[in-house]
Amino acid sequence: MFLQHLINGLSIGSVYALITIGYNMVYGILELLNFAHGDVYALGCFVVLGLVTAGIHPIIAILGGVVSGYILNILVERFAYRSVRFSGRVTPTISAVGVAYIMRNAILKIWGPETYPMKLGFRGTQLHLGGIVVGTLQIYIFIAAISFMVIISLFLKKTKIGQGIIAISQSIPTAALLGVPVNRTISIVYGIGGALGVIGGILFCAYYDTIFVGIGFALGTLKAWMAAIIGGVGSLKGAVIGAIMLGLIESMVAGYVSTLYKDALVWLILITFILIRPQGFFPSQIAEKI
Amino acid sequence: MKNKYKILLFMFALLIPPIIRNEYYVRIVNIFYMYSVVALSINLIVGFCGQLDMGRAAFMGLGAYCSAILTVKMGLPFIAAFLISGAFSGLIGAVLGFLCRKSAFDYLTLVTIGFNAICQIVFLNWIPVTGGVMGISRVPQPNIFGFHFDTNTRFYYLALFFLAASFIAMHRICNSRMGRAFEAIRDDSIAAEYSGINVQLYKILNFAIGSVFTGLTGALFVHYTQYASPFNYTLDESIYQLQMAILGGLGSLAGSLVGTFILVVLPEISRSFYEYRLLFVGILMVVMMLYFPNGLLGKEGVGERLIAVRLGMLGGKNSRKDSGG
Repeated sequence: MFLQHLINGLSIGSVYALITIGYNMVYGILELLNFAHGDVYALGCFVVLGLVTAGIHPIIAILGGVVSGYILNILVERFAYRSVRFSGRVTPTISAVGVAYIMRNAILKIWGPETYPMKLGFRGTQLHLGGIVVGTLQIYIFIAAISFMVIISLFLKKTKIGQGIIAISQSIPTAALLGVPVNRTISIVYGIGGALGVIGGILFCAYYDTIFVGIGFALGTLKAWMAAIIGGVGSLKGAVIGAIMLGLIESMVAGYVSTLYKDALVWLILITFILIRPQGFFPSQIAEKI
Repeated sequence: MKNKYKILLFMFALLIPPIIRNEYYVRIVNIFYMYSVVALSINLIVGFCGQLDMGRAAFMGLGAYCSAILTVKMGLPFIAAFLISGAFSGLIGAVLGFLCRKSAFDYLTLVTIGFNAICQIVFLNWIPVTGGVMGISRVPQPNIFGFHFDTNTRFYYLALFFLAASFIAMHRICNSRMGRAFEAIRDDSIAAEYSGINVQLYKILNFAIGSVFTGLTGALFVHYTQYASPFNYTLDESIYQLQMAILGGLGSLAGSLVGTFILVVLPEISRSFYEYRLLFVGILMVVMMLYFPNGLLGKEGVGERLIAVRLGMLGGKNSRKDSGG
């Protein structure tokens, strides 16, 4: 039984990991609580749903969703965040909350609060390994999370844009003085964050076979935020490990303590964690005021 | 001079029920008065102390459930239950403030959101105490030493008194040494620490005082609607209340009343607005933050700008200075 909980925790954790990578990039670089992250990618996922129900091949539909997530997040950054970037902490956070509500209500007005089946066609088979059930889909999701982590860290280390992103995360004025195009780079960061979010959201929907408006905030932004804080803000490795730990905590609490109070206990564990180790397990290299 | 206007306003408020004579309108005004106190408490925490708290509805819920349980299940009189629930909510607020006394901005916001989620799950699932999904019904109406506040008009005077007392208390807190300490913490907590302000203590105090007012309002509310429902204290509700304080202007007590008035009365005017209220709040939040981050009545808010335009002060002086320099 323990091994089954472990496998479940690992697979739900790797779904969270993909969402967290995009979230943590933005969070780590601009120190802005991107409240709208989940709702933006939820809208992208609903675009995929719309395309699939219109009869378009799932792969093309997912590409369409990823592109719409990229564009959507760039638009949000341009109109709602850019002009408040330097005005303290409260102002941009509230602006982000506003964007989240706009996105969520747009979804509610178009698609309503119903739960839709998400038929993407890549339904995996189940492997039975000595009493433990492992879905092949779960293995694919895990591999996808790890490979995206590797790709993004190579992108940050090896490309010019990636180096620009790291420079901006250390100091925006210095980066600007060194000739990094600040606004364009930040746009790209948001775009990548949105695109990765849509991929994570689609895998989430594939994992549960359904899609509903709650994948945005309750299951997206908040989980990504929790995972980012457990793993360490602004660190890619931390995002993946934090997300997998969050998945493990959730499945262990649900399996051994109580399913009714699962969410409350997870919150309690997280709050305790914040109070004991606010910098996370893998803090980024830049000093932050805790 | 200013006090004279306030007293006139209060006298006018005393005459509202006989003037409008419509039970439904009086009810809306009652709800407006109670939400105003919540908005004031949010203003104390977010506007004056700069701690972005997104879980105020949880404290309203704590006050409401505490008072409902004390009166329905233990048979305590209204006034005792009311005061105990304020104290209980304040105590929980102090504990939360104590835990978060060193936390930076984001962590505090996350902790308050988490606290709200925990409270909601407990309200929903602790069935022997909170009644679960059914909530607690048949909460008695307020009754102070034999006088029943059983009609909207009678309750109106209780709500008005509660709002006036809370407003005066908040006003005095904000203009005292404590209030200035809150503002110093908001503007720069390190500088505040160097000026000899005990930042951690004041953060705890701020949270506790705010929570007392939120809890009292929750208790009064539950005795007015006579029903405690676990679905009234969600994160959406917290955000809506937060928007009341933001719209009026963070750091302006009178602004909180104006913001609350707009957000309580507008959904009542049209049903279709009620459906779109969260979308409206979202758009309002973004637009306000981009153009008027200090709200309608805050510093350099819409109000001050309008006055400046009328007096021809905006732009004129600055542009002359620019061309001269």
